[in-house]
Amino acid sequence: MSRARRTNLVAGAALSVLAFAGLFPYLFMLAASVKDNDQFFASYWSPAWPVHLDNYAVAWEQVSPYLFTSFVVAGLAIAGTLVLAPAAAFVFARYRFPGRNALFGLIAALLMVPSITSLIPLFVLMRDLGILDSRLVLIVPHITANTVFGIVIMRTYMAQIPEEIFEAARVDGAGGIRLFLAFMLPLARPVIGTVALMTVLGVWNDYFWPLLTVQTDAYRTIPAGLAFFANQNVQQWGPLFAGYVLASLPLLVLFTFLSKWFLAGIQGGIVSGK
Amino acid sequence: MRGSSIVTSTKARRRIPWGVYLVLLPTFALLAAFAYYPALNGMVHSLFEWRPGFESPFVGLENYLTMLGDDLWWASFRNIGVIFVWAVTLMWVFPLLAAELVMSLSSERLRFVFRTLLILPLAFPAVVNVLLWQFMYDPRDGVINSLLRAVGLDGLAGNWIGDPDTALVALMTIGFPWVASLPFLVFLSALQNVPVEIYQAAEVDGAGRLRRFWSIDLPMMFRDVKLLFVLAVISVLQYGMQAHIMTKGGPDNATQVPVLRMLDAAFLDTSWGYAATLGTVLFALTLGVSLVALLLGRKAGA
Repeated sequence: MSRARRTNLVAGAALSVLAFAGLFPYLFMLAASVKDNDQFFASYWSPAWPVHLDNYAVAWEQVSPYLFTSFVVAGLAIAGTLVLAPAAAFVFARYRFPGRNALFGLIAALLMVPSITSLIPLFVLMRDLGILDSRLVLIVPHITANTVFGIVIMRTYMAQIPEEIFEAARVDGAGGIRLFLAFMLPLARPVIGTVALMTVLGVWNDYFWPLLTVQTDAYRTIPAGLAFFANQNVQQWGPLFAGYVLASLPLLVLFTFLSKWFLAGIQGGIVSGK
Repeated sequence: MRGSSIVTSTKARRRIPWGVYLVLLPTFALLAAFAYYPALNGMVHSLFEWRPGFESPFVGLENYLTMLGDDLWWASFRNIGVIFVWAVTLMWVFPLLAAELVMSLSSERLRFVFRTLLILPLAFPAVVNVLLWQFMYDPRDGVINSLLRAVGLDGLAGNWIGDPDTALVALMTIGFPWVASLPFLVFLSALQNVPVEIYQAAEVDGAGRLRRFWSIDLPMMFRDVKLLFVLAVISVLQYGMQAHIMTKGGPDNATQVPVLRMLDAAFLDTSWGYAATLGTVLFALTLGVSLVALLLGRKAGA
């Protein structure tokens, strides 16, 4: 056996152990999500037949409102972010005007303010505005956070696009608005996708804010909703795990089809301190 | 504004594009209301006995003095200190090992397969991960105790998150072996960026695997490791979701962390001013760490 093959075998075996260890809780979840309680105890370590898909029906009852709210919050947060961030980034990237650096610095400085340390005053503000316990109170902080992050990364991206592309259009008499809508926006699609994905990740991972601002069950997004769901289904192992699977599906789909953006979103999100 | 300003220098003044301010206005209006105002308001009200909806008397530094004597607050820093040390040692060793192993595979396809399998847990919501581990620790039906009983080690089975002696370790073990993580992605891309020529030269010089690791891989990763280190400090200051789901800071405050202490001050004790103080201190610490890192980075770069 050659040295390269031996290395491959040893490394492959070690990596298989690591991968299995990391995936084990999820594999267990999948297997247990289709067992009834008898099967759960009788064949704890292995899949069991027949498959109980009714667990998913039970879980869907309870988890679907959280999924729906999460989609609404993510969708509107993305819409709000995309109304504000690309235009602002375009202006910062392509125009010279007094105060440009100072204004951009003001925005970039917000990257240094972790959302959790402003949670208390933001909560009081929302209370004063009378919008606690609504979907709106969940959407606004995501728009703010992603607009900040979006402007910073979109500006870098837009500044790198060569000026020549715009020059021809400018000669034809296209104004700033047309340049932005017809040329910059289509070119910036990848970075817009990254920001949209980060918004979804943010909604699926923000735990404390929905937990503290919302009491109506249907207004809970996945993180707070699922924690509540877990407390409601103690010892109901099949439906419990089925609920976890349902809550994970949207992100799994995104990961499958957009894994590159997905990973960029994760790295960007952590780097920006969210 | 064309022609309104007298050209004083030989260089012609550029026309100011006033439209840009109009474009920026909505963004700054939103940020003013929901980012700058709350952040500053929190700092200001750290000096008040904040009673939202009622009159809030000014108390000067009283909240900060209370903090100095708050044993729970300091205990929470001891805990995140432990979490931090764990995060930059054990939680880096496995990702580093995995990255080295992936890079030692000779087939591009195998690399891709293992990389994907290793990071797949990242595709699940963080809350699901924590809830699954909560189940792993379940005293009666959980995976860990079931495994211990299955191999005849009933005596070792414990109430992992209910026992003050094991609760913190149990929290930190969530996600073992931590390969589906930012450190893994960073280590892997750092290793991928090492030029092949360097490895070839090392091989010619007869450097073994370990030698190569110490003399090439580690120095090449140093910059990324510094970044990860700073991010670890920042994220440990914000640590809280796992603890809130599993232990709520208990048992017996064994897993108390600053974020939970801050939230308890506001939502349990209704001491909003004190909570604002704790939030302000957490913010100052985060900012301090970021700035020190920035300065050190600049110095190293110069």
